[in-house]
Amino acid sequence: MSGSKEISRRELLKAATVAGIGGMTLGFGKAGIAATAKEKPAAPAKSTKKVLGVDVIKLGGQGVISGAHADYGWQIQSGAVLAIDEINAKGGILGSRLELKFMDEELKPAVAVKNARYLATDWGAHLLFGVDSSGSAMAVGPILPELDRICVFDHASTHRLTEELVYGKGIKQIFRISVPVYQESNLAALIFKEFPNIKRWAGIHCDYEYGYSTWALFKDTLKKLRPDVEFVSIAWAPFWTMDFSSHISAVMAANPDGIIATPWAGEGVMLLRQALMLGVFDKIQAWFQCMGASVDLLEGISNEVGAGKFKDKLWATARYIHNYPNTPENSVFVANFRKRWNRLPNYSAENAYSTIYVFKAAIEKCRSLKTADLIKAMEGLKIMTPAGERFFRPEDHQAVYNVPGGRVMKDPNYPIPILGDLKVFPAQAYYRNPPFQALTMGK
Amino acid sequence: METLVFQGLVGLSVSMYLWLLAAGLTIVFGVLGVLNFAHGSLFMLGGYFTFTYYGLWGVDFWLAIALSLLSVGVVGYFMERFFLRHIYHMEHAYQLLLTFGFILIFDDAVKMIWGGVAKIPPMPGFFEGTVSVVGRPFPVYNLFIIGTGLAVAVVIWLLFEKTWWGKMVRASASDREMAGAIGVNIPTLFTGVFVFGAMLAALGGALGTPVRVVAPGIGAAMIIQAFIITVIGGLGNLKGAFVGAVIVGTLSAFGILLFPVFELFLIFLIMAVVLLLKPQGLFGGG
Repeated sequence: MSGSKEISRRELLKAATVAGIGGMTLGFGKAGIAATAKEKPAAPAKSTKKVLGVDVIKLGGQGVISGAHADYGWQIQSGAVLAIDEINAKGGILGSRLELKFMDEELKPAVAVKNARYLATDWGAHLLFGVDSSGSAMAVGPILPELDRICVFDHASTHRLTEELVYGKGIKQIFRISVPVYQESNLAALIFKEFPNIKRWAGIHCDYEYGYSTWALFKDTLKKLRPDVEFVSIAWAPFWTMDFSSHISAVMAANPDGIIATPWAGEGVMLLRQALMLGVFDKIQAWFQCMGASVDLLEGISNEVGAGKFKDKLWATARYIHNYPNTPENSVFVANFRKRWNRLPNYSAENAYSTIYVFKAAIEKCRSLKTADLIKAMEGLKIMTPAGERFFRPEDHQAVYNVPGGRVMKDPNYPIPILGDLKVFPAQAYYRNPPFQALTMGK
Repeated sequence: METLVFQGLVGLSVSMYLWLLAAGLTIVFGVLGVLNFAHGSLFMLGGYFTFTYYGLWGVDFWLAIALSLLSVGVVGYFMERFFLRHIYHMEHAYQLLLTFGFILIFDDAVKMIWGGVAKIPPMPGFFEGTVSVVGRPFPVYNLFIIGTGLAVAVVIWLLFEKTWWGKMVRASASDREMAGAIGVNIPTLFTGVFVFGAMLAALGGALGTPVRVVAPGIGAAMIIQAFIITVIGGLGNLKGAFVGAVIVGTLSAFGILLFPVFELFLIFLIMAVVLLLKPQGLFGGG
């Protein structure tokens, strides 16, 4: 009886995957890139005796590739495909070729879990990566021991993934290559502690965990560094807010000197345009747009930045910025990415690209595809990536690397704005460090 | 007090987009008896067409809006003439399935044509700038939106109350068979009403382009609010749609200012109270 149930469930999963892939090619002009990684002929397999015992190392990726945030999943996919093609062109990893299957997590935890199960069990992925939504990450994390697979998370930013699930509960299969919410909260506090005239802060934040944790951490950290600051107003905007005018005018009623805001992607663009309309940049001294240095957002406000409408008061950061660091690794990555996809890479792309190279380094280190061996190889791993050197902290499996914040400005060398006037801090200064204390957050 | 006036005015400008969307939804329901789930998608298409004509092809802003209304009108014509018309006699469930299907089709279609990244049309220069309202800068564009919303309300009222076409529409809405029996061409009239509703949605989407973004999915995001508005105001009632939109827009603006912690809940609370006290909505019934 249970057997027949199992079969029907599998059939369902298969159907869902087919539907998902169909939707992907149908839904997205740039999709189908997952296939290119597969189809591109790699260096022909030379011998039957492989170090790893397999011809193909299967990588199962996930991201949101449908709906309004599809660009984020596209960036993950594009970064991964670029790295996989580079590695395959040089003969793969220890003679085994890489193959990618990329699925749409739809920003839905249940879908992400279903995908992870399918990728690990039915399709036979050796390694998993991806996931955009924090909700999806918190759902996929706990099933990894059962699947006996590592997943490297490369966008989801909740601190709880590494603090609670890895450090607290000991789920060793979770790794995160991207900097979590420490980036937009603690780094902002470090930057703005240096501005003695900015004393009154307001927040416009996402009405879900991302906004809550950013606002809580920002307030905590800044208050410790600058006891004289006040937090004068806060407005919460639910997912898919189309008009932020009411939020902006509500926080402006408290006459803040600075505003910190979390809405991302298209919502971030709308927020900034509407703030311009309401004359906000004539009144305040600084606006920190948390993930404002993501490529889609920079593209969206490019004209306004060019026309100087933000009056040099717009600040931002990201989990990687295309114009930092000034290293050969980064220049080569940005150039290759632009050549391949005719766009600049956003942080999801760099994070995914580096994920694939982390897999390579770990496999070459332990010469095995067994999860237990790979975990050992990745704990404490140091690797040079386009974003700089990353170090996977053994305690919480969080990659430590630093990304600066800066002012959004135009640069003749780039088609879209960059971050300038960079404020660089060592990662340890703004990361939360073990032992972790639970963060009190909420509205 | 100044703060409340200013916030109320901002809320009123937000209300007007909601009003334009809810107006078409409620007219189509009131006359055709169809609850068009895809109405928000027509709002989205209005945005995309305006973006294309104005933002990409550089057509004059006003002309771009007019062309966008026409384009969405054509889409609405095909929707009604070749799909909806065939299911009027069926249960509501079939209409919901069909119109929900249209949401998916439109969302995927815009992704194929315009891509998955949000599109950001430029702001027409003559709308830039602010005027001082109670000592704070208020965008000229928001004033324009408020004016347009009110003007549309007057035009719709005149159209339905003072014109021959309006009388026929009202007659068909209250008794379809009787209107047909006395010589009203019901199918043509229904097509006309649906196209009109579609164009109202498109106008909302088109007017939003300079200050918002157009992206796949904005239609589905907007339609929920439009439903709340029509439930509060009374399904099929135009006055109700206007009052409902103003209530939702301004009260959520005040909620954001005064009760940021449960602002979202506020709108649903109002809807629940209205449903409890007047299940047909504020202006519904009869």
